[in-house]
Amino acid sequence: MIELRSITKHFGTFAAVDNVSLKIEKGEFFGFLGPNGAGKTTTIKMMTGLYRPTSGSCIINGFDVQQAPLRAKRSFGYVPDQPYLYEKLTGREFLYFIGGLFDLDLDLLDEKIEQCSETFDLGKFIDKRADEYSQGMRQRIVLSSALLHDPKVLVIDEPLIGLDPRSARLVKDTLKRMTQEGMTIFMSTHLLEIVEELCDRIAIIKEGRIIHEQAQSASHSFDGQLESIFLELTK
Amino acid sequence: MRELLLVLNVKANVLLKSLLDFRPQSLIKNFSSFLIFGGVALGVFFLARESTNYLIHQAHIGQFLYHRFLSMLLYVFFVTVNLGNLIVCYASLYKSDEVTFMMGLPISHEKIFLLRFVDNFFYSSSTLVLLGVSWLLGYGSCYDMPWYFYFTAVFLVFLPFMLIAAILAVLVLMGLMKLASRTGVRPLISGVIVVYLASVFVYFRLTNPVKLVQDVMKYYPDVNRYFGYLDAPSSKALPNHWVSEFLYWSVIGDPARALPWFFLLLLVAAGLMVLAAILAKSMYYSSWLAASDARAVRGPRTRTLRLRFMEFGTRIFPPKLDAFLKRDFWVFFRDPGQWLHLLLLLVLLLIFVISLGSLELKTGQPMLQVTSFLVVFLFDGFLLASVLLRFVFPAVSLESESFWCVRASPVSLTRLYFYKLGSSLFLVLLLAEVLAIASTTLLGNNRVLVWVSACAMALVGLALTGLNLGAGAYFAAFKERNPIRVASSQGASLTFLGSMFYLSFVAVLLLIPLKRFLDYAIVRGQVMTESLYLPLGVIALLSLLVFGLSTGVGLRAIRRDY
Repeated sequence: MIELRSITKHFGTFAAVDNVSLKIEKGEFFGFLGPNGAGKTTTIKMMTGLYRPTSGSCIINGFDVQQAPLRAKRSFGYVPDQPYLYEKLTGREFLYFIGGLFDLDLDLLDEKIEQCSETFDLGKFIDKRADEYSQGMRQRIVLSSALLHDPKVLVIDEPLIGLDPRSARLVKDTLKRMTQEGMTIFMSTHLLEIVEELCDRIAIIKEGRIIHEQAQSASHSFDGQLESIFLELTK
Repeated sequence: MRELLLVLNVKANVLLKSLLDFRPQSLIKNFSSFLIFGGVALGVFFLARESTNYLIHQAHIGQFLYHRFLSMLLYVFFVTVNLGNLIVCYASLYKSDEVTFMMGLPISHEKIFLLRFVDNFFYSSSTLVLLGVSWLLGYGSCYDMPWYFYFTAVFLVFLPFMLIAAILAVLVLMGLMKLASRTGVRPLISGVIVVYLASVFVYFRLTNPVKLVQDVMKYYPDVNRYFGYLDAPSSKALPNHWVSEFLYWSVIGDPARALPWFFLLLLVAAGLMVLAAILAKSMYYSSWLAASDARAVRGPRTRTLRLRFMEFGTRIFPPKLDAFLKRDFWVFFRDPGQWLHLLLLLVLLLIFVISLGSLELKTGQPMLQVTSFLVVFLFDGFLLASVLLRFVFPAVSLESESFWCVRASPVSLTRLYFYKLGSSLFLVLLLAEVLAIASTTLLGNNRVLVWVSACAMALVGLALTGLNLGAGAYFAAFKERNPIRVASSQGASLTFLGSMFYLSFVAVLLLIPLKRFLDYAIVRGQVMTESLYLPLGVIALLSLLVFGLSTGVGLRAIRRDY
């Protein structure tokens, strides 16, 4: 579902991501961890076509993001770390805009917007302009926009920043349910307890290189050890 | 003072770092900037020198009249600096995140005000300073003025003059922001536009250039006398008058009568600076809070524009095109800064076109007719370039930090670029043709000249749209939320100067063939349009070259890492 083949990204002489390879299977909830500046967001930006890798390739749902960008992008949803919206558009208008970019049929779009409004409790805010939104509301609108086209893969960068406990629970439950329904999720976060609760497998990146990979299953869970592993490996 | 020096030090360091950046890309950029800015400075220098020389020594209009024309130009310059600072100061003193951050630090409000004002003044006025200084150098060289004249005129007369315009703008702005919490921002912006338009109108009514020329010319050839009694009393209270008086007495060789105007400018600039600091102490923070309140407590938007066919729940075009059109439409029309600025520019264009109708420039002399045609053509081009710089140059930057959602969607960036190009080109060509046909027709020109103007202006529209969009993509500033700041950045200035070069070249290409055409038409009564095909063909090639190169640069730039 997601395959990173030796991707490298150089900014001048600095290697932000250095020869990273990963394979994430269908229905897997993958946690991508690392200290600040380790290369998490750069990796995600290469996966979503916002950065061109210096070398290597990102394959999503069988499509190379650089070689077949439109087909690859049609198959995944993306939630960035900073949920920037168009300040002068309402949440509903933003969702219609994104639906248009994905060529969604209007009737289907109406239906999906109502569904998202319910799932993420967008309520009356959906018809207010984004310049009146809180961080949490922006995050929920962006999450909704990423799910409009029923993507097979969801790439999320820090999804719970700015969410109140109720909204965070809502998002966690929704993401968990989606992986159970077969969606593949690639999530970058600093919140280790969230990773322990949700992720099937993790990788830790430091100075642009993967330094640790670990899976959790019913028989072999992280068992509250993730924090000590993380601190030990990234010191 | 310490903080001010700190900021100036940081600015100087940033400038130095960019100048001493020896990477190939930066070197090319710096060298191109140097060439273009240097070329324009040189162009303005020679223009000032030659035009002064011509008006004084060949047209014999006299020193007094010449300096009154100068005063009028300086008034327009003053209003431009004033309005530019008013707009940019609103963004940098009242809407900037940096100010919000600084308000949380233990720095006094008047210092924040001063820091942002100085920063803003340097940012928004640098190109105007370059033009003004080049002009002063050219003007002074025509009179063989000594070195200390240049020093005084540039640093102690021209800079205080600009500073007065900028400080007045920021003082007005503080008052407006206090009012904004009561009246809302929109009526105030509309009021400001009306006041500025009215001030230009009233000024020219009071100074009455036509009557002034007639009154002075009664004394021909004794036109170098001082006709100060002809000045409207109210015009003497304006800083542009003080500058022109200083220049007049300096070139006449009477420094004793120039000095009072010099001191007046310095004292008023210093006094206004002190006044601004005092008022900022008591008003800036409260006006900043009032502006924040005015933005936050907007209440229900009962008067929102409603256009059923442009609403998002309907579709009139294919989904992607429809989505982009509606997004751009609503983002534009829900931002008063955007549509009011467009409205203002369109009103100015209308005034320009209407005022052409009252001029009688049709003469039996081919050279005069060519000159009037080219002056109007260049002015049309200048207006078009200004509209393009303000609205097309920032088009890619306006994708803003929300560009992630387009970049991560199945949208071809080439198609996005061509959508922007197509929609801009459609509107620009419409405007260019209306402007070209209306202005040349109202001048009472030959029908062939109307046709030439329409063709040439269409090509100018094509080239300048490509140039502005391409350069706008190359210099894109996605983090900048204010399109006015994008349109007044260094990249924008370079683009505008490039546009001026291109326009001048087009005018030069038309000059001789038009003269030949009118010679035949007026003197011999023959219509020889053949001589116009070649220059139009060369302009078409040049325009396509500018358009193609700029589009290539733009397409590469829009695909860069975001």
